[in-house]
Amino acid sequence: MMSPATLTRRIAPALACVGLLMVWQVASLALKNDSFPTAIEAIRAIPDILGDKESLINILASLRRMAIGFGVAVLFSIPLGLLMGRSRAVAAFFNPLLMIIYPVPKAALMPIIMLWLGVGDVTKTLVIFLGVSLPVIYHSFEGAKAVEEKMLWSGAAMGLSPLQRLVRIVLPAALPEILTGCRTGLVLALITMITSEMIARQSGAGNILFNALDMGQYDTVFAMIIIVGAMGICLDALFDQVRARLVRWSEPQFDMPLSFS
Amino acid sequence: MKVVPSRSNEWVRSVTPPKPASAIIEIDRVSQVFQTSARKHHLALSEISLTIEEGAFVSILGPSGCGKSTLLYIVGGFVSPTSGAARIKGQAITRPGPDRGPVFQEFALFPWKTVLGNVMYGPLQQGVRASEADAQSRALIEMVGLKGYENFYPKELSGGMKQRVALARTLAYHPEVLLMDEPFGALDAHTRTRLQNDLLNIWERDRKTVLFVTHSVDEAVFLSDKVVMMSKSPGRIRQVIDIDLPRPRRRNELLLDPRYQKYVVDIERMFDESDKAGSPS
Repeated sequence: MMSPATLTRRIAPALACVGLLMVWQVASLALKNDSFPTAIEAIRAIPDILGDKESLINILASLRRMAIGFGVAVLFSIPLGLLMGRSRAVAAFFNPLLMIIYPVPKAALMPIIMLWLGVGDVTKTLVIFLGVSLPVIYHSFEGAKAVEEKMLWSGAAMGLSPLQRLVRIVLPAALPEILTGCRTGLVLALITMITSEMIARQSGAGNILFNALDMGQYDTVFAMIIIVGAMGICLDALFDQVRARLVRWSEPQFDMPLSFS
Repeated sequence: MKVVPSRSNEWVRSVTPPKPASAIIEIDRVSQVFQTSARKHHLALSEISLTIEEGAFVSILGPSGCGKSTLLYIVGGFVSPTSGAARIKGQAITRPGPDRGPVFQEFALFPWKTVLGNVMYGPLQQGVRASEADAQSRALIEMVGLKGYENFYPKELSGGMKQRVALARTLAYHPEVLLMDEPFGALDAHTRTRLQNDLLNIWERDRKTVLFVTHSVDEAVFLSDKVVMMSKSPGRIRQVIDIDLPRPRRRNELLLDPRYQKYVVDIERMFDESDKAGSPS
């Protein structure tokens, strides 16, 4: 039997979604605007999109670019962030560069990258890479900086070399923080994926959305927004499952010390 | 199974006749200067010289800020002295090594490893076979009184238990010298007493050399063969006192022993005098 508290917690997200859709429905009925379909109209358009082979291929192409951009960014950013966190020289070199890149909207770089690399997959994947890299570097950096000096000394006394200490002590110790960065990176990957397809229209989920907008198919536009939102929720939930498994040792449910000296 | 230390100098030592109470660590005119700001320097340690004999339990006792931990870190190879040198068995100490095992006040356990994983870490790093490391580590965990907790994570343990794990983890790779940096400083009084007793029991079995940093007079007298009293600003050795009390030591007997009481009172008085005589800072 689930306690009332657990039950409430379980159904709360569903309630939030239903509530949002209801507000949407009422608002669109009240406004009676052609470019603002009701929630029900938008939901009805979803099966048409997902049932269309062309659209599915587009969405899968988007997801593939996102996966590659995210994956490469993580593989590049974690080692860089960890090195920055443990070496003042490396941090002093890269920090100003990152400070310059950080506030620039990555999509604003797209026109230039398109000139160099064309409008294909490489450009869009590169923009996703840039979007994901910064939060992952930043969180890896902070995580590595916070690793207790004495933990590294303990490792050094056991005979671990500096590189072994980085891989076998700093990396696992900073993992909870690194994964927080990856989670932010995942959301940014989704955002940059859509914006990149908005600027370089050729294929992808963003392409479907903005084509429909051009043609005045507003129910399709809103259906795509729902689909992208659902993708975000699913990816985030999936990531959190993986994260929870990797850093079980740092989870708060373990935060109950036993009474025993 | 008997644990054989695989030290390469074991053979050399058997050729030269073993001298009783030979020096294992020599600290030779070590000074440490810290730069506190662009122009200010702080002399943390001033010309410290000290010899520690093999198998001795030596405490470094002093007020906070006297550089006693820094001295331990220099012996550990974690910090390089500004001038002077520390040596272990005649070899200059330039970096940390498995011959010197630290135990820190902060425990510094690997939180992503279980109790067993933490204790096995050193032996595995030293190339001990996994099955052997496992068996040795389980025996050590039992010795420090944590049998049954092998698969717990550090976060699930109390402070005293964590320090037991840290001790087992360090003993697991057979260091010749234990470097203990206020190991019981973060524990409550009751836990602290229990750990002192247990540490003595473990130590009295194999008599490893121990360098033990503390600011507690009782603790230093109870545990040590020798107490090195330090004064601060700059950190200097004030006096070295031999603690001539019988072993094995039992707390309930010792606390009633007038000789123990006299050591404690004398040392406390010496610290009081140096406080009064000290600069008005």
